[in-house]
Amino acid sequence: MSQRALRCALLACAVASLTCAGQVAAAEAAEPLEPLVLWHAYGDGEAEALRQVLAAFEAAHPGERVHAVRLPFGVLASRLESAVPTGNGPDLFIDAHERLGRYIPRGIVQPLDPSADPDWDATVAQLEPQHVEALRRDGRLYGLPLSAKAVALFINRALVPEGGAPPAGLEAMLRRPLPQGVWPLAIEGEDTYFVAPIFHAFGAKLFEDGRYGLARDGEADPRAVQALERLAGFFRDGLIPPEPSGELVTRLFGGGQAAYAISGPWLAASLPADLDVRVIPLPGLEGAGPMRPFVTVEAIFRAGADAGAEASPAHDVRVAALAGFLAGEESAVLRATVARQVVSHRGAWERFTPDATMLAFRDAARGGVVMPGDARMSQVFEPTTRAIRAVVRGGVDPAVALAEAEARFDDAVRALPEAHDPSLALVLLGALLFIGAVVAVRRSLRAEVRRSLALSLPAWRYVAASFFAVLLLVITPLVVGAAMSLFATDGSEFRYVGLTHYVDILSARGGDLLGQGSFWRVLLVTVVWTALNLLLHVAIGVSLALLLHRPVLRLRAVYRVLLILPWAVPSYVTALSWKGMFHSQYGAVNALLAAVGVEPVHWFSRFGTAFAANITTNVWLGFPFMMVVALGALSAIPKELYEAARVDGASSWQQLRHITLPLLWPPLLPAVAMGAVWTFNMFNVVFLVSGGEPGGSTEILVSEAYRWAFTRGARYGYAAAYAVLIFGILWLGTRSRLVSRAMQ
Amino acid sequence: MKRLVPVAVHAALLSATLFALYPVLWVLATALSGAPMRSGRVLPWPEQPTLRHFADVLFRDDAIFFTQLANSLFIAAFTALVAVAIAAPAAYAMARFEFVGKRASLRSLLATQMFPGVAAAIPLYLILDFLNLLDTRTGLILVYGSTVVPFAIFQLRTAFEAIPVDLEEAAMVDGATRAQAFFRVVLPAARPALAVTTLFAFMTAWNEFILAATFLSAESRLTLPVVLQRYVGEHSANWAAFSAGATLVTIPVMALFFWLQRHLVAGLNAGGVKG
Amino acid sequence: MAELSLEGIEKTLGSTPILRGVDLDARDGELVVLVGASGCGKSTLLRVIAGLETPDRGRVVLDGRDVTALSPRDRDVAMVFQSYALYPHLSVRDNLVFGLRLQKVARGVIDERVAEVSEMLGLGELLGRLPRELSGGQRQRVAMGRAIARRPKLFLFDEPLSNLDAKLRNKVRVEIKALHRKLRTTTIYVTHDQLEAMTLADRLVVLDRGVVQQVGSPLEVFERPANRFVAGFIGTPPMNLLDVEALDPGLRESLPAGCATLGVRAHQLRAVGEGEALSPGQPRFDVEVLAVEPMGAESWVHGVLAAGEGAAAPAVSADAADGAGRRLIWGSPNWQAPVGERMRWTAEPSALHCFGARGERL
Repeated sequence: MSQRALRCALLACAVASLTCAGQVAAAEAAEPLEPLVLWHAYGDGEAEALRQVLAAFEAAHPGERVHAVRLPFGVLASRLESAVPTGNGPDLFIDAHERLGRYIPRGIVQPLDPSADPDWDATVAQLEPQHVEALRRDGRLYGLPLSAKAVALFINRALVPEGGAPPAGLEAMLRRPLPQGVWPLAIEGEDTYFVAPIFHAFGAKLFEDGRYGLARDGEADPRAVQALERLAGFFRDGLIPPEPSGELVTRLFGGGQAAYAISGPWLAASLPADLDVRVIPLPGLEGAGPMRPFVTVEAIFRAGADAGAEASPAHDVRVAALAGFLAGEESAVLRATVARQVVSHRGAWERFTPDATMLAFRDAARGGVVMPGDARMSQVFEPTTRAIRAVVRGGVDPAVALAEAEARFDDAVRALPEAHDPSLALVLLGALLFIGAVVAVRRSLRAEVRRSLALSLPAWRYVAASFFAVLLLVITPLVVGAAMSLFATDGSEFRYVGLTHYVDILSARGGDLLGQGSFWRVLLVTVVWTALNLLLHVAIGVSLALLLHRPVLRLRAVYRVLLILPWAVPSYVTALSWKGMFHSQYGAVNALLAAVGVEPVHWFSRFGTAFAANITTNVWLGFPFMMVVALGALSAIPKELYEAARVDGASSWQQLRHITLPLLWPPLLPAVAMGAVWTFNMFNVVFLVSGGEPGGSTEILVSEAYRWAFTRGARYGYAAAYAVLIFGILWLGTRSRLVSRAMQ
Repeated sequence: MKRLVPVAVHAALLSATLFALYPVLWVLATALSGAPMRSGRVLPWPEQPTLRHFADVLFRDDAIFFTQLANSLFIAAFTALVAVAIAAPAAYAMARFEFVGKRASLRSLLATQMFPGVAAAIPLYLILDFLNLLDTRTGLILVYGSTVVPFAIFQLRTAFEAIPVDLEEAAMVDGATRAQAFFRVVLPAARPALAVTTLFAFMTAWNEFILAATFLSAESRLTLPVVLQRYVGEHSANWAAFSAGATLVTIPVMALFFWLQRHLVAGLNAGGVKG
Repeated sequence: MAELSLEGIEKTLGSTPILRGVDLDARDGELVVLVGASGCGKSTLLRVIAGLETPDRGRVVLDGRDVTALSPRDRDVAMVFQSYALYPHLSVRDNLVFGLRLQKVARGVIDERVAEVSEMLGLGELLGRLPRELSGGQRQRVAMGRAIARRPKLFLFDEPLSNLDAKLRNKVRVEIKALHRKLRTTTIYVTHDQLEAMTLADRLVVLDRGVVQQVGSPLEVFERPANRFVAGFIGTPPMNLLDVEALDPGLRESLPAGCATLGVRAHQLRAVGEGEALSPGQPRFDVEVLAVEPMGAESWVHGVLAAGEGAAAPAVSADAADGAGRRLIWGSPNWQAPVGERMRWTAEPSALHCFGARGERL
C-alpha cells in the first residue's frame, strides 16, 4: 500500500505543482484593465504614506488605477536594470537621484514629458529648485523630486540637558562630561556617506570632474588628509565607538548609551518613543567649516520604454499626471504628515505644522551638498570606505590610504577594453560546430554506434526529464554566463573583447602579480581557505561522530539533534549573527575573551583575525554535515573487525588508527570532494562576515567575482571571466585520481 | 582512570553542543529583547524579554507574513517534489543502466556544481522572461528544482546503487515491469535517501533569496528570506525584527530536521538502505 | 505444469564466455538440479531461464513456446534468490502477494493463497512482520512462500540454502523435497553443494566452465561419472583419482590402453588382511597412512601411494598439492588405522573407473 501511495503522491504532486502554479500564472496574467505600475523600495512608514497618496490619486482620477510594487531594499536598481530593457519594468519608479547617471545611458529612465500636463510648470515651480536641478541632465528633466534625505545631529536631551544654541564646533560638544559607559557620538564613522560631512568641512570633495576627489594622480588632497586625521582622532580619543554599524548606532543612541548621533530620518523612526531627542543640522568642526552632509533627492521617475512597446500619447498623459500628482501638494502633505518626509514641495510646508525634527532635517538638506549624479560617483564609496577603515583601524597613513583609494576608484571606472574583431572567433566557432556536426553524423552512421544508441533508449527515457531541466535552467545560463566573459559591458554598451578579460585577470593588469586584490593572491587565499575549512570540518565532524558512536552513551539522541542545528538555520542568518559576535566592543566573542582576561581583539582590522573569524563561521556551518556522513560511515564498519583487533591485542588507539580511520575514509571522500567545491565557492560567509576586510584581503575568488559584477560598476564580463576561471580551477582540481575514484 | 573517560566524552560533546548553539541562541535572544542589548554580554539572554517583535513581524501589513509564509512553503515543497520526481528516475538510470552519454552526463552534472552562480543570474532572468515565468511561483520552482537536480542525482544514485539488484529482479520475475520494479520496490527501499534529498531540496528553496529577489516583485508573492532581508537595510537595521523573522523562518526547517534526523544518517550513506 | 528445454544457450559477459552451448530438458514436474563449482555458469543459466539475462545464442522453450525474447514478467516463472530478495519495506504478507497484486488477482483469491502458503510453510504468525524482523530460516521460508503463492509454471531456486547454518540446511532440504513432491511443479534448482544436489534431484546436471558435463539421475551420475571432472566432483568424499604412472606396475598393465587416470570410490576400497593373497586381476594399492578422520559411522583413512616395493618411504607431507594423483581415501568401518605406517588396500576390479588423457570415461 505504502509504496503505491508514495508513487501516486509523487506523480500527483509533480503534476499538481505544474498545473497549480500554471493557474496562478494564468490568473496573474488575466488581471483586468491596465493599471499603472509603480516600483519603490520604501520602508513601512513611507510605503503607508504612498498607499494613501495613491488612493487619493485614484479618487481624483476616476477609472485610473495604480499598482504599487514594493521591492526589497537594495534590489530595486538591479531589478530595474534587468526588467526595463526586457520589457518587464514598471511605468514609474521612485528612486534616489544619484542613480540617474547610471540609468540614463542604459535606458532605464526617460524624461518626463511636460507637454502632457497643463499644470506642469506650476507644479515644477513649487518644488525645491536645488532638488529639481539634481534631476536635470542635458536640459531635460528626468524626474520630479519628492523628498530629500540628509543626515543631521541627534541629541539625547537626557544626557545633554541644556538646549539652546549649539556651541560652535562638534568637538566642544563631544568633550562634555558624560556618565560612565556613555559614548559621546554614535556615528557610522567608517562609512563614506557619514564621513563625507567631515571631508566637506575641510573643503575636500569626494568627486570632481568625473575623477576621484580626495586624491589626484597618487597625491592625496591635504584637506582630505586633515579630515581623516581628525576622524581618526575621534576614534582614538574614544569619542566614537569602534567598528560602528547602523545597527550599533541605533542600539547605542536608542539605548541611551550615546549622547549624540549623526544619522538620517531613519534613525528617528526607530527610536523609542520615550527618548527625549532633539535634532539639529550638523555643526561645524573646529578649525574648519560646517559639516555639510550629502543630500539625496528621492524622485519619481518614468521608466524607459522597451523597444517593442508602442508610444502612446494617452499613456504619456497618464504617466505625467501620476508623476505630477505624486510630487504635488496634496501628496506632499500626506507624505510629510504620515511618513515625516522632508518633502520637496515648498507650498506643502505651509499646510501643516512641522515639528523641530522635520525642520532640522529640512535645514540639513538645504545646507548639504547634493550628491553628484555622475554614474562614477557610485564607485567612490567602496574605495573610500576601505581607506577610512585602513586609517582608523589599521593606523595607515591617510595620504597613502587615499592614494590607494584613488587607484581602486580608477580601476573600477577604467574604460572598457578595446573592442576586438569577433570574426575570427565566429569563424572558429562555426568551424568547430561544423566539425562536431560532421563527426556526430558520421559516427551515428556506424552500425555499432547505432546499436548502442538503440540500447540506450530505455535509459534515456528515465533521464530525459532531468536532462532537459538541467540543460535549460542550469547549463544554458552557465554557458551564456561563461560566454559573457568574452564581452565587456558597463550596462549600456556591449562589446566583444576576446580574451582580454582573462589576460587582464591573469596578468593582474600589469600590476604586482601577488599584489593586493590580484587574482593570484586571491587564489592563494581561496586555496588556504578551502584547505583549512575542510581540514577542520573533517577533523571536528569525525571526532564528534566517533564520540557519538561510542557503544554506551547517555543523551546520544539529544547531542545528535543539537549538533546538527547549525545546518538547519539559514546561513545568511547565522553568518550575520557571527559577524555581530565578532564585534570588537559589543561582540560576545570578545566578552568571552574578557571573561578569561584576554584583551579585546579587533577581529576585522588584521588579515589573520578576520580570516579566522570567517573560518570559525564556516566551520560552524559545515561540521554537522561531515559529522552526519561520518556517523553513517562508522555504523557501516562491521563490529567483528574490532573484535578481531581486540583479540589480536590492539589498543583503542590502534583500533582507531588501523581500522576506523582507514575504513572511514572511502565513504567520506565524496563528501569531502563536494565540500571542497562548496567551500571554494562559499560566498555567503566571506561576504557577510568579514566582507573582505581588511582592505579586501580576505576576499575569495567568488566574492571577488561578485564585487566586480555588482558593486564595482557592473562589469559582468569581467566577473564572468572570474567565474570561468573558478570553474577551470575546480575542474582541474577534481580531475585528480583521488576524486575520480570517489566519484565511482 | 576508567571513570574519567565518560566524563571527558561528555565534556567534549557538551562544549561542541555549546559551540553549535551559541550563535543560534544569540539570534533568539535578540528576537526576544524588548530593549537594545547591553554591551559585553556573555550569556545570550534577552534584555527585557518580550514577544513584541514576533507580533510585529507576524501581523504587520494585514498579516501579509502568512501569505509569504504560504509562498515559501509552496515553493519549497514543490521544489523538493519536482526535483526528486525528475532526479529519481535519472539517478536510477545512472545507477543501473549502461548507456551512451552516461559518463558525459555525470561529468556535466558535476561541473554544474563547480560553476559559481554569479554569472548565471542574468541569463536565467532572460530565460524566465522568454518562458513568461517571471514573477511567478512556477518559474522559481522550476529554477530551484533544476538547480537541485544534479546534487539530488548524485545523492540518489549512491542510494540506488546500494540496493541489491536482486530486489528488482525478484520484482520483475514476480511480474513487474522495469518501471513497476522501480516505483514499487526500489523507491520505497530507498526511502531514507529520498527523505534526505527531499529535505535538501526543500532547504535550498526555503533559504534562497538572491534569485527570489531577482525574479519576484509583488509583495504578496515574495518568499520569507527576501522579506527578511528588508529588515536589515544599509543604514537602518531592525535586528530585533530580523532575528524574530529569522527564528520564524528557521522553525519549519528545524521541525523537518528533527522529524527526519533518524533518516539523515542512513540517507546520506549508501549503507542505510539495507533491510 | 510445464516442460522446459534449453537449446544451445551461449552467453558471453565482456570477453569471458560463461555458457558455451548448453542444451537441457526438464520434464513436467521434474526437479532438475544444476550443480557445479562457483563460476561454472549455473547461476547465469538460471538467470537466462528466468529472463534476467538474454542469451547471445540459443533458445529457451517453455511449454512449447519460445520465450527467449520475453521479459521475466511474461514467462510465468518464480524464483527464490540466494539473498532471498525480500522487499524490505513490505510485510511478510505483502511480500507473499506482491506478484499476485501485480497480476491483478482478485482479493479473495489472494487471501486464499496466503492462507494456503502460510499453512504450508508455517508462516501464520509472521505475516505482519517486516523482513528485518525475521530470522534467516524464516526469511528463507518467506522467499519460498512468495514463489509458491504465484503458482508459476516453473520454480527457479538459486542456491536457496547457502545462507543457512548446516543443521537448518538439512531440515529445509527435506522440506523442499516434500514440497516439490506435493506441488509437482517443474523446478530448476541451482547449487554448488553436490550433497544437496544428490539428495534433491530427480535429475542432476553437472556443469563445468559453461558446458554440461553429465545429465542423469543422482545414482547414475554417482555410479558412472561421465568424466574425470564429474567423478572428482560428485560423492562424499569424491572419487579417488590416481595418476596411472604412480600405480603399481602390475596394476598399470591390467588397465585398458589410453587410461591416464584411475578412479576408485573410497567405500569400495578395503584393507588387505595379513597374509591374504590377492588374485591376479585384483588391484593392489600400497599406501602410507597420512591421517585418519573419524566421521562417526566410518572413518576416512587418508593415504598416499608408496613409491614402490622396497623403495624408501616418501617424505610424509600433509600438503595437498604434493602428491595429488597419488593421494587416496579409504572409507574404513574401523576407527583405528596405523598412521605413518604402510598398508595395502584393494578393490574389486569392477569398481575401477578409467579416464583418458582428456578426462573422458573409457
